[in-house]
Amino acid sequence: MTMFSRNDKTPEPAPAAKPVASATPINTVPPASQSAPAPMEPRRVSAAPAAHGTPSVSVISKALKITGQLESTEDIHIEGEVDGDIRGVGVKIGHNARVKGTVYGEEVEVAGTVVGKVEARKVVIASTGHMSGDVVHQDIRIDSGAYIDGHCRPEYGKPDGKAHAIQKPATPTAATNYSSAKPAEPARSIA
Amino acid sequence: MPLSRIGSGLTVTGSLETDGELHVHGKVQGSLCADRLVLAMDGEVEGDIVAREARICGRVNGRVFALNVTVDSTADIKGRIFHHTVEVARGARVDARMPWRPLNFFETLEQIPETQP
Repeated sequence: MTMFSRNDKTPEPAPAAKPVASATPINTVPPASQSAPAPMEPRRVSAAPAAHGTPSVSVISKALKITGQLESTEDIHIEGEVDGDIRGVGVKIGHNARVKGTVYGEEVEVAGTVVGKVEARKVVIASTGHMSGDVVHQDIRIDSGAYIDGHCRPEYGKPDGKAHAIQKPATPTAATNYSSAKPAEPARSIA
Repeated sequence: MPLSRIGSGLTVTGSLETDGELHVHGKVQGSLCADRLVLAMDGEVEGDIVAREARICGRVNGRVFALNVTVDSTADIKGRIFHHTVEVARGARVDARMPWRPLNFFETLEQIPETQP
């Protein structure tokens, strides 16, 4: 950590300029700071710093390293390093990002490196993506140039990923049990 | 330096470390380490904050180690604030000790010291 190195004493606008800034509480995001997230509807209105037009997503920039779990009800954009599981709605793993762990989401885009697993309804592995591990999906796109070392299984949303094994239930009771457990696919369990 | 943002819907359990700026609108359970940290009004931190410059508008339960600390009127802090300069706005709820530390305390802050609760 180099943040407290000697050059701390170079003139810092911090203490003197603070009182002026304190009139505007949270809007300290510089306007040009966010190049990454695509235009996205602000999911919350309340405390969103909408004044500077920043979409209310989470951005893990390339200098940030997180060790631990991320859980979000919003979109997450990762450009840095995450060592742990990620749960979000839309998760975008940027070009230089490194993720070690499982990524859960509705839509997951991998343009960086993932070591672990991806579980999402819609998965995009971009051409710069490097995926070491399994992908559980419903809908997948793999761009030319992407690296995948793992299985791609279209089992997202199916219980426990064992859908293939239970396709032919042995007894009718098992069939009814199973179809009640997952009403999305009654036809398959009967067949 | 790039800016990182923990959105209001995001909960991080673990530690965050950056050389740049970090804005926290969500919840963090664990330690935060940044050059400049802004804890927004809706942000919550349960754990330690280490920064060169910290601006706190949200809730903190833990220790703050920062050269320059600004406590906004919406802040709710419980714990300790180790600082070199501090500013506390009227209206802030501070249930914390605020020990002053010399500059070299922060320069040598490689790992967070143990303190009495």
